[in-house]
Amino acid sequence: MKDNKTTNFDFIGSAKLFVGISVALVVISIGLLVSKGLNYGIDFAGGTEIQVRFGETVNTNQVREAVAGMGFSKAQVQSFAEGNEFVVRLPSAEGKSEKEINQQNNATIKKAREGLSTQFTGAEIRRVDSVGPQIGSELKKNGILAVLYALLLILIYVGLRFDYEFAPGAVVCLFHDAIITLGIFSLLGKEVNVQTLAAILTIIGYSLNDTIVNYDRIRENITNKISKSLKEVINVSINETLSRTIWTSLTTMLAVIALYFVGKGVIADFAFTLGIGVIVGTYSSIYVASPIVLALSKKKA
Amino acid sequence: MIKSLQKRALLILVVVATCIYSLYPNFTEPTEGDSKKRIKYGLDIKGGLHIVMGVDINGVVDQASKRLASTLEQYFKDEKVGVSSVDLTKDEDLDLPFFSVNLSGAGELEKAEKVISDYYSNVLQVVSTDDSKIELKYLDSYLELTKTRTLEQAIETIRNRVDEFGVAEPSITAQGSDRILIQLPGLKDVSQAKALINKAAFLEFQLVEQQIPPELPTWIDEAEKAGEYTLEKLDSYSKYVAQLNNDLAAKLPKNTKLVFGKLDNAATLKAGKIPYLVSDNASLNGDDLKNASVAYDEFGSPEVNLSFNPVGAKKFADITGENVNRQLAVILDGVVYSAPNIQTRIGGGNARITLGRGADYQKTLDEAKVLSMALRAGALPAQLEQLEERTVGPTLGKDSIEAGKNAILLGGLLVLLFMLFYYKGFGVIANLALVLNILFIFGMLTALDATLTLPGLAGIALTIGMAVDANVIIFERIKEELARGQNYRKAVEDGFGHAFSAIFDANITTGVVCVILMYFGTGPVRGFAVTLLCGLVTSMFTSIFVSRTVCDFLFVKLQWKKLAI
Repeated sequence: MKDNKTTNFDFIGSAKLFVGISVALVVISIGLLVSKGLNYGIDFAGGTEIQVRFGETVNTNQVREAVAGMGFSKAQVQSFAEGNEFVVRLPSAEGKSEKEINQQNNATIKKAREGLSTQFTGAEIRRVDSVGPQIGSELKKNGILAVLYALLLILIYVGLRFDYEFAPGAVVCLFHDAIITLGIFSLLGKEVNVQTLAAILTIIGYSLNDTIVNYDRIRENITNKISKSLKEVINVSINETLSRTIWTSLTTMLAVIALYFVGKGVIADFAFTLGIGVIVGTYSSIYVASPIVLALSKKKA
Repeated sequence: MIKSLQKRALLILVVVATCIYSLYPNFTEPTEGDSKKRIKYGLDIKGGLHIVMGVDINGVVDQASKRLASTLEQYFKDEKVGVSSVDLTKDEDLDLPFFSVNLSGAGELEKAEKVISDYYSNVLQVVSTDDSKIELKYLDSYLELTKTRTLEQAIETIRNRVDEFGVAEPSITAQGSDRILIQLPGLKDVSQAKALINKAAFLEFQLVEQQIPPELPTWIDEAEKAGEYTLEKLDSYSKYVAQLNNDLAAKLPKNTKLVFGKLDNAATLKAGKIPYLVSDNASLNGDDLKNASVAYDEFGSPEVNLSFNPVGAKKFADITGENVNRQLAVILDGVVYSAPNIQTRIGGGNARITLGRGADYQKTLDEAKVLSMALRAGALPAQLEQLEERTVGPTLGKDSIEAGKNAILLGGLLVLLFMLFYYKGFGVIANLALVLNILFIFGMLTALDATLTLPGLAGIALTIGMAVDANVIIFERIKEELARGQNYRKAVEDGFGHAFSAIFDANITTGVVCVILMYFGTGPVRGFAVTLLCGLVTSMFTSIFVSRTVCDFLFVKLQWKKLAI
């Protein structure tokens, strides 16, 4: 049998420091979201994205020039994975009505498709995504609703399963994770699309796992009356569950890392979001969720 | 928890066997008429075209309302009711059309009301009346019916077009009240498909030639052989017909063209077709037709009623008058739907197509429905608007699934190794649970007929990472109990017992998120939610039930005193 000493860190003692860090991170994130905003992908912003692979050696500038030559001056060209593969992003067409925009978008696909195929040899259009204004705004609305409903249901569930002083901590944690993840997306200018949102929701669920395991232990230790001071109970509980929290985050990270490096495109982006979320989520359930429980119960007393 | 070890082991074996049974067809080649369930892949893996089309239903309603207003005027005139005009107004807020019947005198009210209740009681309802006018609106049920019909008819039109491509499993479904989602897996020529889907339906009425050259079938055979093509080979009806007409132009009588209709008992044109030789002047077409519907004759047999607008009525009267006893073919997008015999001159703009009585009632009714839908599609073609397009080329899909498989394998392997090194003997138990878990997930996905998408693959990889979470919680707890000096048997019992509530709560919350994603998400994201949810269910079973059973077997049944942890 391996020696299994429980750690004995003073989490609550250092809570002030970490709460400070968290508040700072959240404030910075909100600042970034307000000032720089998010780089919405075509799912939300509308527009057209074409992934193309060429049979000849081509560099990004050549593709950019070719696309500009077709009259798409606002196009973004990104080289993709290894060699001769590019993603061309064409912003949503402008038009007076939604109908006109849809027609323009449709014409854009045709023009870009044909243009790329004729100007380079061996062009293979591997993917086209085109989203019109109605679908874009609907996806946005559904995305926001999904996040709100998720938070609401989680609040209710945690409230029912645990005492009400536990629930706010869990939900604050989730906001904390979601906002910081979005902040990182804003900072890096990474594209936010439907999959990103799904990944963020998954993180919300995942981060809650850790929080709940901690809460569960706190609840058990309160019942067992291991100490009179709640502060002490919380500290012991976090220490007791610490190795579990770290090891499970690690196994999840193993899977996420595999997805990030082996998977391409959509899967790698997905893994990126999940990876950030796992790190932030693990941190928040140790340093954010429990101190809030303590703070709330102090107020009550 | 079931007490008896044997019973638990039996349950696990049954689940394993069921999963293997459900997964087995995935390893066999599908054969003809084989309906076994296999894992379905989403378009992002299979490659293909995904398009959302908006259907301008209100446009069709507006058009139909305009026609109704003019028909009403005509009716009042015919019935000698003093009506100066029927005006159509539109309430922009309610998006509803209203009809005002302006009466020429106070005495006309009663007569006008009678006409409305005699002819339009199932279409219109009276909103208000006074001495000078009657305000009318559509009955809600009628308006609803018109809208659903328009959508159905647009779907039907698209379906017929899509059949041209010979796509293996096309899916054309209504999305909400005014959208159509079209998914064509494995499609190669995307541009052509789009062009065809976007084209409005074209309906024409053409006289069938009386003298069909007896050599016609031979000519067709010869042309096919000479040009080395068949309908199957070209896989496109329009191309096939164009080619044939081109090749036979010299042989066919002047001003005629060759078209085909489906054989009565054939499911598709490819399965069986009959040639028709029809005149090729487009004198009467969809623009002339006002509406068509299924009705029943005096014996209760289904038939199709059509009504023409004034211009069409005149043309129709002329054509039928001059060609009694000839067949008039109803042709939609080049396919003959019916070729009824003209029995007499039909004036007044209303006609009926009888479909032969006596035979199978249901079959006649289906035939009437198909025909009236084809007629309506030509009379009131709904404008389509492309709202969303997603195309995935076949090579990308192949690459993606390759990458996804490798990610799952690599992730799985890393996790297995980690558990083995960190938890040693107990790690083997957890790994057994993990392997079973993967088997169960795929078994469940196949059994549920779920669609596997790229994010879905990510969901499985993630499940692998998260599934051992429960085992980690349990093992950490067992370690704690052992550290307190408990024996293995007791430590295992307490470890599982205490860990359960945490595992359960944690899975429920992730489950909540999955359900929300399933509800709000679209295609690929929904795929992710489904696999993750399946993973949650199966991982609860494997990491709690299966690993507990194995532990009990070792420490209770075999009386092991210790196991490396």
